[in-house]
Amino acid sequence: MVENAARPVKAVIRNVSKVYRGRTDVPALDTVDAVVYEGEFLTIVGPSGCGKSTLLRMLDGLQRPSEGAVEITKASSDRPLTSMVFQDYSVYPWMSVFDNVALGLARSTLSKAEKAERVREWLDRMDLGKFESAYPMELSGGMLQRVAIARALVAEPEILLMDEPFAALDAQLRRRLQEELLEIVGNTGRTVVFVTHSLEEAILLGDRILVMSARPGRIVDSVDVPFPRPRDPELRTSPGFRDLEERLWTILKDHADHRV
Amino acid sequence: MNVIQKSRTATPNPVKVVIEPRVTDRDPDKYERRLKRQNTILAVATPIVLILLWELAARGGIIDVRFFPPPSSIAVTGWELVENGMLPTALLVTIRTLLIGLVVGNVVGTVVGMAMGLVRPLRAAFDPLLSGLYTVPKLAVLPLFMLLLGLGEPPRIVVVAIGSFFIAWITMLEATMGVAHGYLETAESLELTRGQRLRRVLVPAVLPEYFVGLRIAVGNAVLLIVGVEFVMSSEGIGSLIWRSWQIFATERMYAGIVCVGLLGYVLTKLVTIAARVAVPWGPKSMKRRR
Repeated sequence: MVENAARPVKAVIRNVSKVYRGRTDVPALDTVDAVVYEGEFLTIVGPSGCGKSTLLRMLDGLQRPSEGAVEITKASSDRPLTSMVFQDYSVYPWMSVFDNVALGLARSTLSKAEKAERVREWLDRMDLGKFESAYPMELSGGMLQRVAIARALVAEPEILLMDEPFAALDAQLRRRLQEELLEIVGNTGRTVVFVTHSLEEAILLGDRILVMSARPGRIVDSVDVPFPRPRDPELRTSPGFRDLEERLWTILKDHADHRV
Repeated sequence: MNVIQKSRTATPNPVKVVIEPRVTDRDPDKYERRLKRQNTILAVATPIVLILLWELAARGGIIDVRFFPPPSSIAVTGWELVENGMLPTALLVTIRTLLIGLVVGNVVGTVVGMAMGLVRPLRAAFDPLLSGLYTVPKLAVLPLFMLLLGLGEPPRIVVVAIGSFFIAWITMLEATMGVAHGYLETAESLELTRGQRLRRVLVPAVLPEYFVGLRIAVGNAVLLIVGVEFVMSSEGIGSLIWRSWQIFATERMYAGIVCVGLLGYVLTKLVTIAARVAVPWGPKSMKRRR
């Protein structure tokens, strides 16, 4: 990838390869080079199993490369560097909604009152205010993901990482959450890396899209999304949007494995 | 990662956080081999070191050899008992009683447990009764079975069988009721017959838990048989231990105890291996963990 010299770089992924060892070795990533710019909403698309989640998890330090390195610039010492929103199973059933979100501030040095205030602020913003003492059991899937997002954002991480956060939701909920995310995150200049297999989602939310090939994953293209912010969900119906979706689909198809 | 440092002042200069491969990521095979080797060494060395310490403590007079004879003399006594046939005979009797009781109890318990898991009226009828009986100490009913069955092996078998029954019953009841609804619906949707549903779906679905139960039952059966032999038997390894204690033959007693330990270890190991073979799709807990 060619770096844009004018933009401040937040993270560099340099020559990263990953091989999973097992009965047969599975190469997940093959010499991936990429850059995450400061303040951009970067989406990563690719066929399932292409290693996009692996790449994201490396940014969170949950996994290490087999070769190469990931370098992230840490600007502040009182904010977490990264926070992840997982697809599933990340909201603990044994804690109330409030406590789940407050866990995002577990390592913070804020006073108890300040923490509570920030948790409430995020619960309100995610429309969860009325549910702060509810247990996750009582919540719908969409609300659970809102809890997960609030927990990731409550500590104001330098990079927000999202691993197909809406994949398990039904289409309507998914759309609603995309729209909410657009408002809360997309239009505020946060640095976000968002993995998805939905091209529509990638375009609607992203400033830039990295397209990955089938396993072993490589970056085959980096596509800038030309639509200005703040964006409206109506964007989906514009001809430019459809054209871009078509273009991405062509790139994906050209690099897909033949065993679909 | 994900660390909000204690200091609340912003860092003057941005810091680079580098995530790169550790040695273990570059050559995971080598790392894996090293871990395995380390595990083996630890597993073998730990008991050896402890036994050596015991030996030294006994010889050095730090511990009372009347109660804690040195392992070497226990080994010598144990070998004598093997040569004169006492230990093998006792062990065979114990294993026979244990296996008959375990198998009978386990089979009946498995069938009853699954039946109760599947059939609501059965569950309603027997659940309170069995739950109540479950907590009665098995050894407490031994005198009853001695009255009914005499002094020989049968009452011992019955006590082991009852103990094994309850563990299998409760495990399989829970396992059967816990089978994911989706599995059953899929079977229904594919219009499997009752027999097919049982063989192709239910049994495999509960198999992992069955083996967990069996593992517990094996340990429990060893406890029970030794206990029963203590109080009522003139044969078997439990009786050997008990009689040795009565005549204060501590070495012999320890030889018997070691034998029981080995028996439990071998039986549990066999169950673990059987589980691994029978449940190749099983959870990680069934496989060998590092």
